[in-house]
Amino acid sequence: MALYFTKKASTAELDAYYPIRPECQDSVPKTRFKLRAGKTLSARRWHAAFSEDGHLDIESVLRRIQKGGVHPSIKGVVLEFLLGCFDPDSTFEERNTLRQRRREQYETWKAECQKMVPVIGTGKFISSPIITDDGHPIEDTANCNVRDGGVMSASSQDSEKKVIQWKLLLHQIGLDVLRTDRSLVFYESESNQAKLWTVLSIYAWVDTDIGYVQGMNDICSPMIILLENESDAFWCFECAMRRLRDNFRCSANSMGVQTQLGTLAQIVRAINPKLHQHLEEMDGGEYLFAFRMLMVLFRREFSFVDSLYLWEMMWAMEYNPKIFSTYEETADATYPSAAPKLNDKLLKQCGKFEKNNVKSGSGGPLAVFLVASVLETKNKQLLKEAKGLDDVIKIIGDTTGNLDAKKACTEALRIHKKYMNKAHKS
Amino acid sequence: MEDDQEAGGEEYLFKVVLIGDSAVGKSNLLSRFARNEFDQHSKATIGVEFQTQAVEIDGKEIKAQIWDTAGQERFRAVTSAYYRGAVGALIVYDISRKTTFESVKRWIDELTTHCDTTVARMLVGNKCDLENIRDVSVEEGKEFAEQEGLFFMETSALDSTNVQTAFEIVIREIYNNVSRKILNSDSYKAELTVNRVSLVKNGNDKQSHLSCCSR
Repeated sequence: MALYFTKKASTAELDAYYPIRPECQDSVPKTRFKLRAGKTLSARRWHAAFSEDGHLDIESVLRRIQKGGVHPSIKGVVLEFLLGCFDPDSTFEERNTLRQRRREQYETWKAECQKMVPVIGTGKFISSPIITDDGHPIEDTANCNVRDGGVMSASSQDSEKKVIQWKLLLHQIGLDVLRTDRSLVFYESESNQAKLWTVLSIYAWVDTDIGYVQGMNDICSPMIILLENESDAFWCFECAMRRLRDNFRCSANSMGVQTQLGTLAQIVRAINPKLHQHLEEMDGGEYLFAFRMLMVLFRREFSFVDSLYLWEMMWAMEYNPKIFSTYEETADATYPSAAPKLNDKLLKQCGKFEKNNVKSGSGGPLAVFLVASVLETKNKQLLKEAKGLDDVIKIIGDTTGNLDAKKACTEALRIHKKYMNKAHKS
Repeated sequence: MEDDQEAGGEEYLFKVVLIGDSAVGKSNLLSRFARNEFDQHSKATIGVEFQTQAVEIDGKEIKAQIWDTAGQERFRAVTSAYYRGAVGALIVYDISRKTTFESVKRWIDELTTHCDTTVARMLVGNKCDLENIRDVSVEEGKEFAEQEGLFFMETSALDSTNVQTAFEIVIREIYNNVSRKILNSDSYKAELTVNRVSLVKNGNDKQSHLSCCSR
């Protein structure tokens, strides 16, 4: 372990945890994150943060993560807590029971799905449509990943709308799985691809409101890599989706993420009216250029390791000890948009951003303030050099590739304070 | 931009959209055209992305702003911004997947709903390097294009076949459409000038965008 904390701990060692295909080395963003002794949450520190019966000192853990991220050896288990899969104020035993219960629930759903589409659970997956829009089975043709599982039994259930809607999503998921993080050696394996496909397919079956929307694959992929057990990966993704699912909600004339884009517009208009006006003049007032950043939480702008670092940082800063109980109370509870009232003890267990939210009211998720901070740092260049939206995208693109997650989050916190002050005054 | 115009230099900025089902190769067609690159490991497009590429037609430099979009139907909710002001479109399918060809009609309807009929349109059968698993014949593509009054071309973003040509034909057609209209109507020219500038300078004047698309 000590090896990874020497001053010379290079990013190459880090990337070794998530090896990149040799032929892709040049086309992926460079990793900037560095493990830092005394800052990064190490495996030793993590284990030391549990009491004998398993209560987690989340406060100390958050402090570390907000300073220097999480060591790759424990990223998966830490993520489960950050996302609210588990209550830090519980015992090992209680969590094991919960995990067991969830695994059984997952297996039940999986069996349900397998009955309708036998390829599920076989380590293979599909990327060709299996039914037509009106629900008729399509015979498996060429260019399919699997030759034996595409055709499903025409049971009476199949006529149900829910089943048809779901089946129509499966090949879309397959097409995207084939294109998810292909630069990582991990996804050279068909069974790993199938794991991602299965989790997304079962999620789509369970969350009928959202189903599957492109981009969810980018959110899910890290969980598949970090958590070995398929069910655990599913539940971790499910918790992530509680915060993110509103972005993926689609209606006939709008997409959920546009709400966040609207918030972004509001923030920039308040803190930097000149820049907002400039963007509007370039027909960028809808902030569509930030669409992808918010939808897949900057995964496309960063290397794999760096995007995990950013996520940990963001979710630690947004952490609220109440999320677990909120999720448990109602099956479809989403991440609370307004911070609940907390006593002093619980307030200490909040991340930096959430503390401010509790004190001064919310105003939007951290990710939105992050985009605002990126715009703010490039203010001068945007005003001077950006003549069209191409330029805006280019300028922002050049920045995000060079972002330090911690600095960016700190800057986002500053913008958040500034914005809330303005909001209170007016 | 402003300087150019004051100097009297004609400047054209045409908006072209790339549409079609998921994974037919829209993004790679664009990267092949704009940067001569092909990414074997390219990812699904999220929302909308675009790139500007300059081409020379009749000695004039023309900039094509090409918008690339997610293929999943759900994303069509954001299409109003996407189609707004488009004067050209490439409707792409994958010659090795019949279903993507069958969707073309839907994409054309989509285009017609949002845009003017004088949008220069081309049907593109991509991945023609996959001859061994071809699922849509050249004739089928050609026939359908003729029926619908579209240009037609088979391309391969992978080996570059026809990519440059396909884009250039569309851009030239837009240019011809525009030139014809300029000859026919001075007011259109004025309108177009407004529109052209508005894309880069005066975007909050939505009216000017609509004008090119709502006759």
